[in-house]
Amino acid sequence: MKHTGTIAARELRSLFVSPVAYVVLTLWSVIAGTFFLASLIGFNDQLIQYQQYQMLQQIESMNLNDNLIEPFIGSMWVIILFLLPAVTMGLVSSEKANGTEELLLTSPISIWDIVFGKFLAGAGFVAVMSAIVAFFPAILFVYGEPELGKTLSGLFSLLMVSVTYVAIGVFASAVTRNQLVAFIFTFVMLLIIGMMLPFLVEVALAGGGLPSDSVISQTVRWLSTGTHVERMLKGLIDTTDLVYFVVVSGVFLILSKTVIESSRWR
Amino acid sequence: MSETGGAEVVAVAHASPAIVVDGLYKRYGEFEAVRDLSFQIGAGEVVGFLGPNGAGKTTTMRMLTGFIPPTEGTIRIAGFDIFKQGLAARRSIGYLPEIPPLYPEMTPRSYVDFVAKLKDIPRRKRKDAVERALGLCGLLDVCRREIRQLSKGYRQRIGLAQAIVHEPKVLVLDEPTVGLDPIQIREIRAMIRDLAETGGQTILLSTHILAEVEAICQRVVLIQHGRKVLDQSLSELTSGGASLEEVFTRVISRESENVTEEGAL
Repeated sequence: MKHTGTIAARELRSLFVSPVAYVVLTLWSVIAGTFFLASLIGFNDQLIQYQQYQMLQQIESMNLNDNLIEPFIGSMWVIILFLLPAVTMGLVSSEKANGTEELLLTSPISIWDIVFGKFLAGAGFVAVMSAIVAFFPAILFVYGEPELGKTLSGLFSLLMVSVTYVAIGVFASAVTRNQLVAFIFTFVMLLIIGMMLPFLVEVALAGGGLPSDSVISQTVRWLSTGTHVERMLKGLIDTTDLVYFVVVSGVFLILSKTVIESSRWR
Repeated sequence: MSETGGAEVVAVAHASPAIVVDGLYKRYGEFEAVRDLSFQIGAGEVVGFLGPNGAGKTTTMRMLTGFIPPTEGTIRIAGFDIFKQGLAARRSIGYLPEIPPLYPEMTPRSYVDFVAKLKDIPRRKRKDAVERALGLCGLLDVCRREIRQLSKGYRQRIGLAQAIVHEPKVLVLDEPTVGLDPIQIREIRAMIRDLAETGGQTILLSTHILAEVEAICQRVVLIQHGRKVLDQSLSELTSGGASLEEVFTRVISRESENVTEEGAL
């Protein structure tokens, strides 16, 4: 798989000269800035409120990590659901639309080179997105004393989520030559894994139809991204959560390889 | 004379065949795009691959280059099986598909360099190989512009540069002159002829233009409805005094399964 780097480097260069990349990065920066500002104002208001009512205990328990950074990063990974499909939609589908698939598949490279190359390029792009988000908590370190470990763990969870979602995007992009179809397909899959699964569990639990410790509810809870992100946001980096990201990425990359391989048999 | 007589003569002249196709079939459900196709092309030969639209030329070329697998039959490129020894076989092929496989946002130089990496050209030789391909295809003047800004003629040349950058033993060109103006056609033809003469490369090219075949090729393989109907050297074909056009029209309109070359002439 010595050509993975070649494919990834070319893809990254193309990504960064595409208008989509700039729209996404601009939106992402604006949204991150807005959310951060909102979190900051909310934090201050709360503090002032507590001071007015002399609620010393509550003031004591407030800190920059739990009351500002955590909700900020927590809302950014929801935004990822909406923006990431635009980044990954063209990864493989544009090769089909351009006819360059014919070049790649007749070159002495393996299909894994293509799959990993695309995945790495997308991962590189979301790393830039995570770095933009990291800029905002970094400001807090100038004026306050947030916990570094907790902050990094939260940022790491954002990166892991995005990278895992890139693998899903690569798969969606491999099944079609149409970028819009790839976008919608990715978006739907991300919505299911990111938002609908935990919602379904809660509904089922509230209805009483499902005991909370049943295999189904535990599986569904394990499948949904939020379960794993929440713990990492709190500063807990657990192997089981890392396993989740690796397994989901792995499954979708294997699926991508199968899809690209089988497209030549049609 | 048997149908494959011409091919055998040539195959003997060139000891090791560069392309060996044996009993090739491609079926899409009920439809047979390619039927029982067999031929050999010797090293250094330039062969025109002809046939009406929909005859199966592109399908065959896609199978030869390993892009799609055949339903049945074997293909050997430079002695390597295209599937069992895929990497080695694909390393020996340069392929210009019907639509040049270009990235519009790249420059010709970065694009050809990218292909050079894909084709396993060692790092220290890569720069020279890229410059050579760009030079041969007359791209040095435009090699810093974006491909999307370049004309169709230039795009075709970039496609050709991409196919020859690793000096492959076998070149497969799918309608290399389609959609070009007469001057560009002449340039591309001259380029292909140069490659055959100086590089000693085996070239299989498909085309609709018979004059092109006369100008470049030594041999002709004609297929219709996915079946080979003619395989003969150009000199033999035209030795009877008939023009290529007459010969082809006759062969194709006959649409018979057991056309003998004697009959065709």
